[in-house]
Amino acid sequence: MLEVSNLSAGYGAATVLQDVSISVDEGKIVVVTGPNGHGKTTLLRVLSGLLPVNHGEIEFCGERLNGRSAATIVAHGLVHIPQGDLLFVDLTVEQNLFMGAYLRNAWKARRERIRRVYELFPRLEERRAQQARTLSGGERRMLGIGRGLMSNAKLLMVDEPALGLAPVLIQEVYATLARVARSEATVLLVEETLANAKDIADYVYLIDTGRIVHQGTMAEIGADVLTSTYLGSKEG
Amino acid sequence: METLVQALISGLVFGAIYAIMTMGLTLIYGCLRTLNMAQGAFGMVGGYAAWVVTTDMGAPPIVGLFVGALAAAGIGILTHFISIKPLVGRKDIDFEMTAYISTLVVAIMFSAAIILLFGARNKAIEPLVEGRLHVFGTVTVAWQQVAVAAVALICLGGLSLMLSRSRQGLSIMAVAQQFDAAKLMGVPAGRVYWVTMALAGLLGGIAGVLLAPLYFVSPSAGDLPILKGLTVAVVAGLGSIRGTIYAAFIIGLIEALVATYFGSLWSLPVLFALIIVFMIVRPYGLFGKREEERL
Repeated sequence: MLEVSNLSAGYGAATVLQDVSISVDEGKIVVVTGPNGHGKTTLLRVLSGLLPVNHGEIEFCGERLNGRSAATIVAHGLVHIPQGDLLFVDLTVEQNLFMGAYLRNAWKARRERIRRVYELFPRLEERRAQQARTLSGGERRMLGIGRGLMSNAKLLMVDEPALGLAPVLIQEVYATLARVARSEATVLLVEETLANAKDIADYVYLIDTGRIVHQGTMAEIGADVLTSTYLGSKEG
Repeated sequence: METLVQALISGLVFGAIYAIMTMGLTLIYGCLRTLNMAQGAFGMVGGYAAWVVTTDMGAPPIVGLFVGALAAAGIGILTHFISIKPLVGRKDIDFEMTAYISTLVVAIMFSAAIILLFGARNKAIEPLVEGRLHVFGTVTVAWQQVAVAAVALICLGGLSLMLSRSRQGLSIMAVAQQFDAAKLMGVPAGRVYWVTMALAGLLGGIAGVLLAPLYFVSPSAGDLPILKGLTVAVVAGLGSIRGTIYAAFIIGLIEALVATYFGSLWSLPVLFALIIVFMIVRPYGLFGKREEERL
């Protein structure tokens, strides 16, 4: 579904990603993990068109997406759910969701889609008329994911969904993502703490200083890597 | 008592005009994070367009209102492409300050162009409606003022519906609140910018045509409105829509009360004193937020 080959990118003269190749198959949950500040978020920003590609190829559902605008990329169904949600805090929950359906085709189907999002997240329906700034951390995360689902998303790229949440909510968010992957869209998850995602991950990439250093299924990656320096253990 | 009621009515009418005039500044500041110093010129051009169709072509005043509003919307788009778009996203300049200066320059150019086209002399323009409404006692209101308030309130209502319901309106709010997220939703920022400028032009043009029968149409007709607009925007807190509405009515009322009880000479000094107080005590205004930089 998504094929990224030999991708290099960065901010101005500073190269962050070097020669990154990943591949995401339909219906799977693929996790990109690694320590903070090693290019995970940058990867998503490049894929969603917020940052330019220096080298390499991005192919999504058979289409080359390098150098396309963020709007075009969303229109193709590659949707980025950013770290920290980036909600429209002064808009209501419902207005936030409708903004997720901004593109013309999605806008026409917005009433039907919002029903599906409300089915997935009944809490959002209860809070539909509230300003997004009044939501709790867990509700904000749900709104971020729901807003992403309002477009015609085929692949959701979710950045650190556990960030800043209480442990009990973290489990809830990952259970939701597993449901999303089963019924709505493929999921590419960026996650600093691989342990959070170990029960739902189908395939894992380890990124370190902007390069992919390990990859495999959860079983292949194994317990040794789970405790290694890549995952931010103390001896690192 | 009757003097007070008269002053309050006139304050509310002016508040309504200030609200639509300043809303242009507010929307542009929200989206683009710069002050549009051509906002007054939008109204000035709108006034001329209305004058041309009502006086030269003999169209009724209501047509003048529509033509003035559309002409000003066009001028808004033109202003965007001349003085804002070339600056957006450039790393080598301070966008906010440079765009502030370039829109000011464009406003001066519009005034100069108007002088070349129509001369420097003031033009009188017909009000939308004649006559006065008798309220009670000695209190009367010109029907023009009633019409002005009605048009302004319809504009504000329409604007609020648009911003809260429509796809274009929501995208303006979204770009103002969370630029990166708006892009991730597929909003083309470049289009939102010029749509916002067109909307600001439309509102400025309507305000300009509504004010024209009171102050004449002249090449400098935009100067006082931009000054009032900036006052309202500072008191409101830059970029705050709710604040703009409250501040517009507060300032309209203060101005009318000062003019009634101390003479109209005092109204501007009092307003400027108010700005100074706000800058010191509450630099982010009634409803503004301490904002981070962008673009």
